Formats: sequence, structure tokens, C-alpha cells
Amino acid sequence: MGQLWLLGPLAWRNLWRNPRRTLITLAVVAIGVWSILSFDVMFKAWTRSSLEESLRLLTGEGQIHAPGYLDDPGVGHAMAEPSGALLKTLNGPAVAAWAPRVRVPAIIRSEYRTRAVTLLGVEPAAERRVSDLPGQMLQGRYLAGDDEAGIVIGRDLAAKLETRLGKRVIVMTQAADGHLAEVGLPIVGLFGNVTPAQDEYVFVGLRNAQSTLGLNGQLSEIAFDAGPRAELETSVQTLQRAAPGLDVESWMALSPLASTIEQYSKSYTGVWLMVMFVLMAIGIVNTQLMAVFERTREFGLLQALGMRPALIVAQVVLESALLIGVGVLAGVGLMLATVLPFTNGLDLGGLAAGSEMAGGGSVLYPTLEPGDAIASALIVWVLGVATTLWPARTAARIAPVVAMGAA
Amino acid sequence: MSAIIQCRGVSKTYSQGAVDVPALRGVDLDIEAGDFATLSGPSGSGKTTLLSLIGGLDRPTAGEITVEGEAIVGLAPAKLADLRLRKIGFVFQTYSLIPVLSAEENVEFVLRLLGRPAAERSARARQVLAEVGLAGLEKRRPAKLSGGQQQRVAVARALAPRPAIVLADEPTANLDSKTAEELIALMASLNAASGATFLIATHDARVIAHARRRIEMTDGRITADDRVAAVGA
Repeated sequence: MGQLWLLGPLAWRNLWRNPRRTLITLAVVAIGVWSILSFDVMFKAWTRSSLEESLRLLTGEGQIHAPGYLDDPGVGHAMAEPSGALLKTLNGPAVAAWAPRVRVPAIIRSEYRTRAVTLLGVEPAAERRVSDLPGQMLQGRYLAGDDEAGIVIGRDLAAKLETRLGKRVIVMTQAADGHLAEVGLPIVGLFGNVTPAQDEYVFVGLRNAQSTLGLNGQLSEIAFDAGPRAELETSVQTLQRAAPGLDVESWMALSPLASTIEQYSKSYTGVWLMVMFVLMAIGIVNTQLMAVFERTREFGLLQALGMRPALIVAQVVLESALLIGVGVLAGVGLMLATVLPFTNGLDLGGLAAGSEMAGGGSVLYPTLEPGDAIASALIVWVLGVATTLWPARTAARIAPVVAMGAA
Repeated sequence: MSAIIQCRGVSKTYSQGAVDVPALRGVDLDIEAGDFATLSGPSGSGKTTLLSLIGGLDRPTAGEITVEGEAIVGLAPAKLADLRLRKIGFVFQTYSLIPVLSAEENVEFVLRLLGRPAAERSARARQVLAEVGLAGLEKRRPAKLSGGQQQRVAVARALAPRPAIVLADEPTANLDSKTAEELIALMASLNAASGATFLIATHDARVIAHARRRIEMTDGRITADDRVAAVGA
């Protein structure tokens, strides 16, 4: 153990025998660690933003449907408006907000074009509590009441239909009795900043939709928010108990893509960590091998003086541990300097449109997760040090007789 | 006197591609404790090779070597390192100091490997540096010392753990005449004072003149082995 104390100062001083090389290696490690940790934080922020955008726009954190609706989302699978235990639970502490909806496939027709859409009958006041879409009106206004004789559609859909705010469109769908239902409505508002799939939703008042479809007091779905994410599963179970005959699903089941993106975000970070680490490892091993070959005679001398080969390995590994350790700390420092100023929100500015197209928000909220950052930094440090076992073994295998050679 | 180093039938052959080059051819040699002996001969005579084999820095192709009665041929690298640490001090042709350590730290290095306490290490390092005439230069790093001073530090390092044997390979080769004379006289006086056995590979006539035993080698064989009265003896 006493011999190890000998190695510390020796290792540290050896690092600075070639300051330029040491600084370059430090920079490689620091930039690598910075990129790994910053990527992790930013990617998680984007994933979270993407998820929240997706859920807050329409899905909600969970939904309730009549059995069979998810497989065949038509007017035939309707359920009664909530009452009794279900209504009590929806208005209780397990649910932060909920909104009843009618949701059926439909055809919308303008003077010039016809498109397939999804018709949603909503209660505007309730909808504002579970959905951000009412706040994304670009022209006109959102629905004022659930019996309003007007329709809200996406701006892009309006362009495809070659129509505009104030013009009338015809909505056709199958009514509950199997006949074709048709209603003409003026466009009262155009929303935007949504994905192409979300652009195919059209909104009318809930009572208006029920009347058109012949759904007297019946609904297609109830969207709800459970509040804090950790409580979602509990809320879903509570609702399932309150409405045993209905399907109660969380967003993970309803939006498998969003769920998959969240699941795989950790894998992406892992892959990025691995790629960056391989690049760093190549640099570290190359540098340490060069350092060992430059000091061949010195390692022979150390053995000639009585230093055991294992201690030579320890010395080279310790030099690497110090070098990579300082690099990792510098990388963590850089990451903190990059991330901390934006914890109150990073406005993507010119990149916002791209982020929104990819399902993210225009403002990201990077959150530092110390456990993850420490784990990633430790992984880089430990694996980086492990890679230097190769140059260290090379140093230990240098025959002590080289100490006899002329310089 | 008892033999502190024994070589029996020691041969060493280097392979250079398909060609085998014999460096030592069946050397038999006994070095007595307290000897101040030189190995001399022309370049390629095998003196450095013999020194490296005795020091356990290399392995013979054939033959047996014992140091203080311990057979060293076949010892594992770690065991050989321990043997060198405990019994043998080296002085090399080039100064061979650790460049990032000061003179005192270089001398202390082997004492730290031996696990000696800090106070003892420091006191002993300063003592031997003073004995080789480097008092006041303890904190200087090798780059701030002259060639002669660096070789004195190497001698101090070799003597610091009080080894039974000091092996020196051409210790004066890179020194000017005056410095070389001083170093030789220093090693001879340390030999007399400490009783350590000195075996020096050299072709420097001034070093040979100080030796009490002069061993000559040619083509990997010992061709002469004379005991003489050394200069100043």
C-alpha cells in the first residue's frame, strides 16, 4: 500500500512532461463527456417536450372508451355519459381534469375538395382543461359552447380544402342508426402548429355532434389527466374499478409511438455514449501507447531499480485515471455551464419549427438528473481507465535490460 | 572470502533474425564480498551482457547464477525485481534518473519501494547525497544538474538502501576526465567505507586502475582475472 503512495505524485508529474499532449487528451475527454452528458439532458428535455406536446394536444394522460371502440372507432361503440361511481371518481382526487367527447370518422367537403377527417364533438370549457389545442388558434376562435353551430379545423386542412375562415363546409358521417348524417357548418376558427396527423381533426360542439349522429347523451371517449405522472397508474386502476364495463387506458397504450420514443430515449443516449466513448478510447489508448513507447527505457529502469511489473501497470493506470478523471470533471463542468443557464427554458428560436415538426416544443426545459450524470461520468472514467490496461501491460512487459541500453 | 556472486557455465546467445550471435560462452566467475572489480574488454566482449545477467535484468541461455547464495535463473519477474531491490544497486552508463523527481526524491525512490518510513528515507537520502558531494542540491531535478552531478545522484541512489552489490555499467562513459576521476575515487571510497561489492563494466583505464580485481573479457569469455594493488590502495 505504501508503494501506491509513491505512484501518485510520480503519475501526476509524468502527466505534465508533455503538456501539449496531456492538454489535447484532456480536451478530447472533456468534450466527449460534455457531449454525452449534454446530449443526454437535451434529448431527455426534447423527449419530455415531445411527449407533453403529444399528450397535451389531444390525447390526455388517459382515456375511457366503450369496449371495442379502440379496434373500431366508430359511432357503433358509444358509451353513456358518466354517472354514478364513474362520475364521482372523475370528479374526485384521482383525476385532475376530464373532458367528454364524441369521436368518429367523417368526410369534410368544401366547395372544391373533400377530405377524410376525424370529427370530435367537445365541451369547450372541459376541453381547455385537458388539451392545449384550444390555445393554438391561428385565426378566428375556438368553439364557444357545446351546442355552437360552427366548426374548428386545422389551417393546413383548410388550405387542402381550398377554403377559409367564415366559409361553410359539409361534414358527413354515419349516424347511430346507420344512415348518412350530414351537417353544414361555418368555419369559426383555424388552429395550427400541430403534426399532419393532428391536422386531420375537426371540432364541433358536443351537443351538436350528438344531435347530428343521433347519439342521445352518448359519448365515444372521456379524456382525463391524472395530475402528477407517478399517479397515473393509480388513477387508471381507480377508474377501472369505478367503470368495470369500460376500457380505461393510459397514454402508454393509446400512443404507443410516444411511449416507444420515451422508452428508447435511454437507449439512444446509451448508443451515443458508446459511440463517443469509442472515439475517446481510441484517442486515450493511442496517447498512452505513445507515452509508453517514449518511456521504454524509463520503464526498464524502474524495473531494474526493483519496481514490480504489477506496480508498473498500476503507475500507468494511475496516470490514465488522473488524466481521464480531470477530463471527466472538466466535461461535467462544461455540461453544467451549458445546461444550468437554460433550466428555466431554452427557446429554440430558429430551430423551433424543426422541433415542432418532429413533435417537440419550441421551448425545451433541460433538467439535470445528478444520478444519471454521475453514472455516465463514472462509466466513461472506469471504461477509459480500463482501456489503458493495454498500454499499461505493454509497459510492464518491457524487459528491465533496456535500462542498460545507451540513450 | 566467500563468493557473493557465482556464475557457472553462463552463456547468452542473441537471435538476430535467422542468425544466432553468442555474447557469452560458458562464463565461470566468482566475485567475493567487498570486491572492487572491473570487467573490461573491447566492445562486444560481453561485459555489459554479463553484468545484466548477474543483475537479473536478463536471462542466460544456459548456466547458473547465484547472488548471495540465491539462484536467480528462472525466478519470476516480480521475484527478480524484489531481489534487485533488496540486494543490488545499479549505476548505468547514461544517468538514468527519473526526470520528474528531484535528486533527493530519486534517491528516496528505492527506499519508498522498500517501504522505509518517511523520516528514515529523507535522512538517508540526504546522508548519501552529502557523501557523494551533493549537499545543497537535493531539491534540484535532473535537468538542473550537470552530467557528473546526475551520475553522483545515481551512485547515491544505488547505495541508499545499503545493497550488498553495486553493478555499474560504463559509469564514466559520458563524463569529462575530471568528473570521471572524481566519480571513480568516490566509488572506491564508498566501497571501502560501506563494504559493498562493486562490479564495474568499463573500458576506461582510469577506472580499471582503481580496481583491486581486473577481469578481462574477449568474445564472450574471461581471458584474464587478476588481483592487484589498486591506485591509492
